[in-house]
Amino acid sequence: MKFTLPIILVAVTAGLMTLALFGAGHSSGTVGIAAGSAVFSTKASTPEQGLNNLLADVQRRNWDRAYSALSTTSAGDRQSFIQDWTGSDGSLRSFSSLEGFQARPLHATNDDAQMRVRLHWTTPVGPIEDVRDFHLIREGGTWKVAWPKMQISSVPAQIIPVTYLRWDLVSGSGSDEWGSKNVDAPHVRIISMNAVDSAEGAVVMGEVVNEDTIPAFVNVNAALVDGAGKAIDDESSFDKIDHVLLPKQVTPYRIDFPNINLKNVKNVRMDVKATLVPASADPVIGVMNQKVVSDVQGKSILQGDLMNESGQTVNIPHVIASFYDNNGKVIWVSDGYVNRALLPQSGQPFAVEIPKSLAGKVQSFHVVVNQYSLVRS
Amino acid sequence: MHAPASAIAGEEVTISTNGSGKATFYLLGPGVSRKSDVSLGSEVQLKAQDLQNAGEYFAFLCSDTCRSSSFYVTAAKPASLTFLVHPSRVPVGQGDAVSGVALPFDQFRNLVLTPETVNFHLLEGTASVFSRSSQTRDGIAWFRTASQKSAGTLQVDASLGDLSARRAVQQVASDPCNLRIKGERTKAGILVQTEPVRDCAGNPVPDGTIVSFTATDGNGRSTVDAPIKQGVARAQLEAPGATVISVASGVAMGNELRIGAQP
Amino acid sequence: MERTTVNSVQSYSRPIPLIAIILVALAVHGPLLMMQLPAGSFDANFHMFFASHYAHHWFNPWNEKWFAGFSQTTYPPLTHQWIALLSNVVGLKMGYMLVQLIAVLLLPVGVFRFARIWVEDRAASYAALGSIFLGALAFLVYQAGQLATVASAALYLNALPYFYEWITESSGRSLVKGVAVSLAAAAAHHVTLIFGVVLFAGPVLWVAFFDARDERVSGSSAGVLSRAAVFGVAVAAGVGIVLLPYWLAILQHPIHQIPIPHDSRANFLLNSTTAINYFVIPYGALILALPFIFLRGASSRRLIPLLFGFWLTFIFGLGGTTPLPRWLLGRAYDILTFERFTFWATLMAMPLVGVLAVEILDRFQAKVAVALSLAAVGTIGTALWWLSANPYRPTGSMNVEPVIAFLNRDGHDTYRYVTLGFGSELSKVSTYSSAGSVDGDYNSARLLPEMTHYGSAQLTNAKFYGSAGMASLRAMLEHANRYGLKYIFVHDSYYEPLLTFAGWRKIETFNNGDITAWSKDDVPPAHRIDSDAIPAPWQGLLWGILPMAVSLLAIFLELLLPEGRRAKMPVGVPVRAERAEQHSVA
Repeated sequence: MKFTLPIILVAVTAGLMTLALFGAGHSSGTVGIAAGSAVFSTKASTPEQGLNNLLADVQRRNWDRAYSALSTTSAGDRQSFIQDWTGSDGSLRSFSSLEGFQARPLHATNDDAQMRVRLHWTTPVGPIEDVRDFHLIREGGTWKVAWPKMQISSVPAQIIPVTYLRWDLVSGSGSDEWGSKNVDAPHVRIISMNAVDSAEGAVVMGEVVNEDTIPAFVNVNAALVDGAGKAIDDESSFDKIDHVLLPKQVTPYRIDFPNINLKNVKNVRMDVKATLVPASADPVIGVMNQKVVSDVQGKSILQGDLMNESGQTVNIPHVIASFYDNNGKVIWVSDGYVNRALLPQSGQPFAVEIPKSLAGKVQSFHVVVNQYSLVRS
Repeated sequence: MHAPASAIAGEEVTISTNGSGKATFYLLGPGVSRKSDVSLGSEVQLKAQDLQNAGEYFAFLCSDTCRSSSFYVTAAKPASLTFLVHPSRVPVGQGDAVSGVALPFDQFRNLVLTPETVNFHLLEGTASVFSRSSQTRDGIAWFRTASQKSAGTLQVDASLGDLSARRAVQQVASDPCNLRIKGERTKAGILVQTEPVRDCAGNPVPDGTIVSFTATDGNGRSTVDAPIKQGVARAQLEAPGATVISVASGVAMGNELRIGAQP
Repeated sequence: MERTTVNSVQSYSRPIPLIAIILVALAVHGPLLMMQLPAGSFDANFHMFFASHYAHHWFNPWNEKWFAGFSQTTYPPLTHQWIALLSNVVGLKMGYMLVQLIAVLLLPVGVFRFARIWVEDRAASYAALGSIFLGALAFLVYQAGQLATVASAALYLNALPYFYEWITESSGRSLVKGVAVSLAAAAAHHVTLIFGVVLFAGPVLWVAFFDARDERVSGSSAGVLSRAAVFGVAVAAGVGIVLLPYWLAILQHPIHQIPIPHDSRANFLLNSTTAINYFVIPYGALILALPFIFLRGASSRRLIPLLFGFWLTFIFGLGGTTPLPRWLLGRAYDILTFERFTFWATLMAMPLVGVLAVEILDRFQAKVAVALSLAAVGTIGTALWWLSANPYRPTGSMNVEPVIAFLNRDGHDTYRYVTLGFGSELSKVSTYSSAGSVDGDYNSARLLPEMTHYGSAQLTNAKFYGSAGMASLRAMLEHANRYGLKYIFVHDSYYEPLLTFAGWRKIETFNNGDITAWSKDDVPPAHRIDSDAIPAPWQGLLWGILPMAVSLLAIFLELLLPEGRRAKMPVGVPVRAERAEQHSVA
């Protein structure tokens, strides 16, 4: 008994640990910014394991281990490898963490393999999915990723003249006499509205214009009302709108009502709120080479290039696109965030998805670019 | 008990009483209540500070029984003029677009309901563009007029006797008119810019107004929303092929520009 | 020289007086607590927030400062109410420290009394002394700030000897005192009592049964079982009444929220930092004693229940490193955190560690005394060092005074607010500001769908829960107008892009830009959110009276009914394995 029981307990403990590692009851991921290394990790005896080990190290930001596990045929240095994963210039990628991934082989031989990975990123603005192909090579019985050379955009030194234009808001310090401080709110107008059912629920969308001569801070709210006049739900355009509109600027908006079917809705109450805000007319971002195409996964997308025509860095560009049918009616509004920063006088590609059911009806589109700049913030 | 039929706000009032003995006097009015012991047959003096608010007052005198009387306190002479003007910004050339309301108040902030004459006066720079005298009705005088043809500040004055109030309305350019662009190919693409953007009355459209440039070629479509700066809007467009460039600002469309393919 | 040796042997062969052990505990933890070291721990501000509410609204457990309104009957109130009482004299923070100090001083007493069930007095005294230096205790007090867990464990350990005495000797005095102290333990922390029944009381019942069967005590086996049932029924009924508002709240709103990840549920083999945080630091030098614990625990039939209890608690403390907790706990696995099991496991190990100390002191004397002292000091020292070395350490000292001042002026408290990147400082802001928040630092009280439908905890820590956390934050911000959520205070620029794109604007900066205040213009003032979770007034009365009453009852019983005699130890309690075996046979 003196030795038997301890041996049994230790053996059961070891068995349970093995089960947790390889089988039943495998625990979920940990909280927080991953740190530390695994006490136990598997050998990269297959392309999947090689890729999994690399991506697990990337998740943990264990760069030394990740970089040392790359194939000797890899191009680029350690710094560019890290920068590829962590981003730079305050871009969205630099705020992001790799939360998960799903890999599938495209083709494999005894010595090399091509894997396609769906990377799930967690970002400040929501989850973002990225599809990326990896080339793996077997070296000495171990599968390693051959890292391609990354093109890191660089901007030559230059001076860009800027005609500084911004609006400041002065609340006034005079007497509080009635009527002495009246400044009207900006005049904005909903120029189109359309309500449709989607896979996730009801969607109300359209466009708003600032008809005034001053910038407006705009928010669009909508309430769905049933046959009895009772409000079913109320939601706002949240980040699917460009909130700061310069004079005569038009923005699409989209309001999602998850899990609601329009057949239960009798009426939609729209409410657009506009307030005075300080604003700047810069930066100017052009949207070049826009066209609707199919991507590698067969999805319809609107793609193009954003061009920063100003002298300041745009850290996180946000593209909002409205799509019209042949009657000029807004039939969908899509948005997407761009991972890389827009450096002065340089461009970045973007793509936003069009639902399959609507792709054939799209006759035209309008793209606006919202942005977050560290300097401005 | 005999109270006067009416009184002026901020002035003393005397209420006479009959009989003998002690009684309790109550005064109830807008924002006022007061209780005091009085001798019947003497006069009850209501102080000026008890009668500052215009409106109906009730006086009660209670000994064995209670008796009541009411009187009305009207506003004193105007001491201030509240002036509301709408809107604070208005596009030029709009009919009935500017309106103003003046309300005279006495020194106790009572609205003066007796008819008074208010003079409205609109100035563009130093030039008078509108003048009207208007009698208050139920304490309110008002005017309505069109905005002028040229952009700038419209000064709006209201006066009543030696009281006056001044407000400003910003008259701004209307929608762009005759929007025209010119462009040329450069190394970086096509540099396109508008001629000075003005409304149909010739007023320059304010800087910051967005002008949308759209270039269409075989490669797709390129758009730039550029703000007007120093009267013109500029944009750099990428379109290597033969390109058609159009321009719009708000509801106003401009001319189309055709530029040949990049050599 | 010879004389010295003789004295040394004699001094080592006697139990350490309990009062000396308490003084050591006071000397070790007193200064640390008076320096307010736990003020920066994860949960300290949470406990002070609850206490602050009791200080202002003793009989109204509905607190509108978190989650747009929640009931404090979802957390046993005893420690918070004691802090609230003391706060009237010494202030909130020092009140917390004093209650924590009392719990820390009660712990070695409990360990001593619990250990005497299993081992003789000398080993028990070493166990009690060792418990002062436990890494797990330092972890819970100074890093986690789990005041209620420590207080409840200390009380519960003090209740168990009464339980043993009652079931083996049919002592009515022990029954009354045991039930009263158990109820006080439950009023401090219900989870400790629920799991304590299986992990602590189970082995005690088991050994009492052995003792009765082997006639080491006066009672019969059947008597032991029947008296245990009586004790169990009395405690269950008492807990049912004392915590009735809690049970009603939990029945009305069972915890159905999506599981929230917690590192204590991770597989320690897959992350070295987690392994250090949840295994190496809490166990410290005890890791070296593990082989002895297993060997000695298995060497005597009387110690086997303790060994099993320790092993099961040890396995639970490993969280997701083994699947056993998930199998045994089911859904509760995703609600519980497991560092408390490690703490309990170390407490259960202490009687056997006491035996180890006795044996090696007898054999090696002074050298071992030094080594044991170094091991003990090293264990608590490492745990204290880890407070600053831990990558998951609490946010630390952030000056939130400007935020509190902002909320308390110019009618800003007519709106609700959220903090981002504040960690446990959220509770501090909530304690001292008059405004309400939609966020809060107590997961089990959350009822708003924007929080319960996602697998994340506090909004202020949203980014640490990945996509689930950010989705929860987005959902809340989308419904800002619904909740009157106008102000957001940011201590982490990570959140600024979302706020910018969602339409919030920066309006003020505090502490040279360390904290920024953001606002949204079209948000209407906050209004009261209707809830069916508001406790009835009679529940508030019950909640304000009974938990405090049972703790006072326990104190009075301890004073009025002192132990007439030392708890009778069964003949043949093993000190060394071979002797124990002989006595058992005898």
